[in-house]
Amino acid sequence: MIGGLFIYNHKGEVLISRVYRDDIGRNAVDAFRVNVIHARQQVRSPVTNIARTSFFHVKRSNIWLAAVTKQNVNAAMVFEFLYKMCDVMTAYFGKISEENIKNNFVLIYELLDEILDFGYPQNSETGALKTFITQQGIKSQTKEEQSQITSQVTGQIGWRREGIKYRRNELFLDVLESVNLLMSPQGQVLSAHVSGRVVMKSYLSGMPECKFGMNDKIVIDKQGKGTADETSKSGKQSIAIDDCTFHQCVRLSKFDSERSISFIPPDGEYELMRYRTTKDIILPFRVIPLVREVGRTKLEVKVVIKSNFKPSLLAQKIEVRIPTPLNTSGVQVICMKGKAKYKASENAIVWKIKRMAGMKESQISAEIELLPTNDKKKWARPPISMNFEVPFAPSGLKVRYLKVFEPKLNYSDHDVIKWVRYIGRSGIYETRC
Amino acid sequence: MPYLGSEETVKELKRALSNPNVQSDRLRYRNVILRVIRFMTQGLDMAPLFMEMVKASATVDIVQKKLVYLFMCSYATLKPDLALLAINTLLKDCADPNPMVRGLALRNMCNLRMPGISEYIQQPILSGLRDKASYVRRAAVLGCAKMQNLQPDAEIDGAVVNELYGLLRDQDPVVMVNCLRALEEILKKEGGVVINKPIAHHLLNRMKDLDVWGQSEVLTFLLRYRPRCHSELFDILNLLDSFLGSSHSCVVAATTRLFLSLGSALPAVQSGALERARGPLLAACNAQSRELRFVALCHVQQVLRSLPGHFGAHYKKFFCSYSEPNYIKFRKMEILVELVNDENVGTVLEELRGYCTDVSPELAQAAIFAIGRVGQTYSEKCLSILTGLLELKQEQITSAVVQTFRDLVWLCPQCSESVCASIAGCEEHIQDSEGKQALVWLLGVHGEQIPGSPYVLEEFIDALKTEQSPAVKLELLTATVRLFLSRPAETQDMLGRLLTFCIEEECDMSVRDRALFCYRLLQCGVEEARRVLGGPKSDPSLGVIAGRPEEPINSWAGDFNTLAPVYSREDWAALTATTGGSPSLIPLVTGGAAQADLGSAEEAEAAGSAAAAAAPSPPGPSEELCLVSGPPLSPELFERRWLALEPSRRVSLDWPGGDCLPETLQAALQLVNIQALALSRPHARPWKAYLYAHSLGTVVLAELLRDTDAGGLQVTVKQDPEREEALSSFLTVLKTVMQTLLNSRASLSSHN
Repeated sequence: MIGGLFIYNHKGEVLISRVYRDDIGRNAVDAFRVNVIHARQQVRSPVTNIARTSFFHVKRSNIWLAAVTKQNVNAAMVFEFLYKMCDVMTAYFGKISEENIKNNFVLIYELLDEILDFGYPQNSETGALKTFITQQGIKSQTKEEQSQITSQVTGQIGWRREGIKYRRNELFLDVLESVNLLMSPQGQVLSAHVSGRVVMKSYLSGMPECKFGMNDKIVIDKQGKGTADETSKSGKQSIAIDDCTFHQCVRLSKFDSERSISFIPPDGEYELMRYRTTKDIILPFRVIPLVREVGRTKLEVKVVIKSNFKPSLLAQKIEVRIPTPLNTSGVQVICMKGKAKYKASENAIVWKIKRMAGMKESQISAEIELLPTNDKKKWARPPISMNFEVPFAPSGLKVRYLKVFEPKLNYSDHDVIKWVRYIGRSGIYETRC
Repeated sequence: MPYLGSEETVKELKRALSNPNVQSDRLRYRNVILRVIRFMTQGLDMAPLFMEMVKASATVDIVQKKLVYLFMCSYATLKPDLALLAINTLLKDCADPNPMVRGLALRNMCNLRMPGISEYIQQPILSGLRDKASYVRRAAVLGCAKMQNLQPDAEIDGAVVNELYGLLRDQDPVVMVNCLRALEEILKKEGGVVINKPIAHHLLNRMKDLDVWGQSEVLTFLLRYRPRCHSELFDILNLLDSFLGSSHSCVVAATTRLFLSLGSALPAVQSGALERARGPLLAACNAQSRELRFVALCHVQQVLRSLPGHFGAHYKKFFCSYSEPNYIKFRKMEILVELVNDENVGTVLEELRGYCTDVSPELAQAAIFAIGRVGQTYSEKCLSILTGLLELKQEQITSAVVQTFRDLVWLCPQCSESVCASIAGCEEHIQDSEGKQALVWLLGVHGEQIPGSPYVLEEFIDALKTEQSPAVKLELLTATVRLFLSRPAETQDMLGRLLTFCIEEECDMSVRDRALFCYRLLQCGVEEARRVLGGPKSDPSLGVIAGRPEEPINSWAGDFNTLAPVYSREDWAALTATTGGSPSLIPLVTGGAAQADLGSAEEAEAAGSAAAAAAPSPPGPSEELCLVSGPPLSPELFERRWLALEPSRRVSLDWPGGDCLPETLQAALQLVNIQALALSRPHARPWKAYLYAHSLGTVVLAELLRDTDAGGLQVTVKQDPEREEALSSFLTVLKTVMQTLLNSRASLSSHN
């Protein structure tokens, strides 16, 4: 259980403090500020023990959120809770920043009151919370709304309330992937994985039953037993998922027995599934670095990036960060495409390209002048990192179908408007040089 | 500045709150209240406004109500008499037709902390428990716990407890979980909520309806349930299997812990559970959130304590990424060292070498020490990397490398030659005292193999006046005398200077004492000095103790998914040892009751033995020795038990020659889970040692006694309760340990 929750700004000023249990005193607020926020050295651990009280903190931009407890709790649960808390706040007022927190502090106190009681998590689904906390204060509720609350909190299915109606039944499906890479200077993949999420926005009436299918290797192989030629066609395109986890609405027993994903969706936006793959990843970009030291005061850097996907697709928001030594005095950059700039404050050359098609190549070369130093320290050469966004799933995941059945109301699968979108983003995408 | 001039602000707010014009304008009124709360958050004392705020609670505006309730809960302890005024409004709200208002009022009324409140809240809570809206029931159930918390000494109300047990069958999942939480707090003194078979099965069936927090907590409560038979156990495992694949790492970890606890007597179940949890754990190690990544890494480390090869194939997952915070990098390096095997040693060392030049000096040093640890098994490869690092000629790196060399030479004598060849010239790049000590030690002990050693030491002696650290001076004295013994001609002169300086000018007492000691030792003659100083140059047997053996899973299964793996072992020991009450939510029911409730040692003891007795002994006729690390015994408790019990057996062991050092004996015994409570000093006669161990549900207490030098070691063993197998297994283990110690000593003395 959580004894108290505090929110600080980067200076350590308390923005929100809520204490749930008596064993947490007011001095706990100051203890965290003094020992963690104002501490000289780097953060040692996200869990800090001060006078037998455990402080769990996460940092969002320059806001500190800290949960405090004297009990022996599950660390993973407390962190998940803090993240959930952040999600809920984001759903209510957007980005978590000092200004937003100050402007919405009443709302945050209301949320803290509903989400936790006596330090125990009570209700953390944004959808359900919105019935309790509306941002207009005075609400003389209608009879209908009152009964809604009652059914909401007594209903068997906690994530969906009954009696939802939409004129247009729509479904938005986003496959969001982040591809992570660590590559050696020789172009050898040291580690690569894709962590993906399937995020859904559903605006469906009634209590619909959905069924979701993708090119999971196990399913396709199973079906392939019947028709041999289909396997040869689709077998190449199926992907092996290392592990996946689902939103609580998915019937896990059905997934285990038939590997089919069926569920009654929550209303609005939610994360249906999270997965990870490590095999046969399409690496959208290859970075080829070449660093040459010319004497003691000059460095020549040449970096080539190659896009490795269908020529018809366009990658966006490409950014390559080439780190430079600390004693850099001047940089001259030549690049064929995009814009490159040396940012002295970040010790890096930042090369930005707005768009780039597949199967293309682009290069940048830079001459770096160094100040002669008597520091014998060799430059550690941090890796070249890259950011980008591509309109496909680097894991190769494809949505095969998404069917909707609502037996009670008369709309069928065909009447639902469905949208599918794939976005692949870079996670930690580094090439050593 | 809110901290200054608070009186002015309070006055102004008071005026605004009691202004009828403001009161009539809803928005303005709420804004003033908002300001009050804002100042309260900043730490300003707003208690003088209590009266005005209480008045503001009589409103239809729900947000305003919430704000005023928040204010009242914070200050009610300071103004109990005024708070009573608010009760009427609250009581009225408890009967409001809107369930939201009812729940809100009930929840906040229970949050008020002041004497005498309980008589007012009792009735609303009872009617709240039977309310038709689950929102109110949730608040009422927790209200019961809050009421108990208000009066910790009050007698437990049986009717309420029964009602709460009944509400476990409530439709609403949150009400159900709240009931468990409330019962746990109310019945704390009686050991918490009882999970019997019907309740356990009910909870298992409801698992799917719960939210993440509920699942995670119910899984923890289920730790208390022991299935009657194997088929029931396997039914539970099957039912919960899908939760190992949950998208929330806290549910995965809680399920794993439950499986480990259910399978505490079935190793196959435990290894199966860990096998299934490997994927999700690895996924959590690569989670987006760095905090969750950190927690997952801590748990991976815990699994590795028993199954060193468990993540061997996935070692690349633990390579550090440049942008990760240091706390993750440190953990990953520790894991990498554990995962080294013949196949991946090259890749891992290459990776670790990359970290040695990290910007953060702490991280770089840790990486070098990590290479040193790998070097205990793969010394050649590591030595070439470490020697290469010396060429960078950087202070911190050189210092760390020399320290690693010192440890390596001590553990692996075969390294000494190449180490001696490579440390020439290091002295120029070492500034910190740790590094200097290591270098001086190496020069002293292996001086005859390093050509320039006297001259390096001479430089240190010449710079003695500016040397700050007494530890370096101490090391320097010993090293110079040692070197004098092997290379007298080159060293004699500087030794003289060193001793003169340390005796005449040094102000640190210990340094002066050491110098005088060296001087007098040399007066006794060279042979005598050689006998005293010429100890062993390496001790490979220490490597066996330093390299941890595989621990049984049960020794940590109880700590899984608590704070224990997240804190370092020392922190955790300090945290639990002195608290009096362990922060553990649930007293463990496994054999490894290491962190069972320490309310008093006796209680823990009883719990531990009862728990161990409850766990069926492992099958198989061979009756493997399975001493487990149980709850610690306090010396008083030990004494009481020792006096109360009859000796079960007396044995005498062979023990020729002198005594071994208490540290060595203690360390060796700890390895096999025998705890040494007290030891006499070496060479004391009679020499005594008191030991204890937990095994097969009993506690074995033992006394080692040595009266004379000639006689063997008398072992007296007592036991509670009697258990023949445990006794014999204890004695076998003890004999093996003593024999090993004897052997290692014999090999050492022959080495010299």
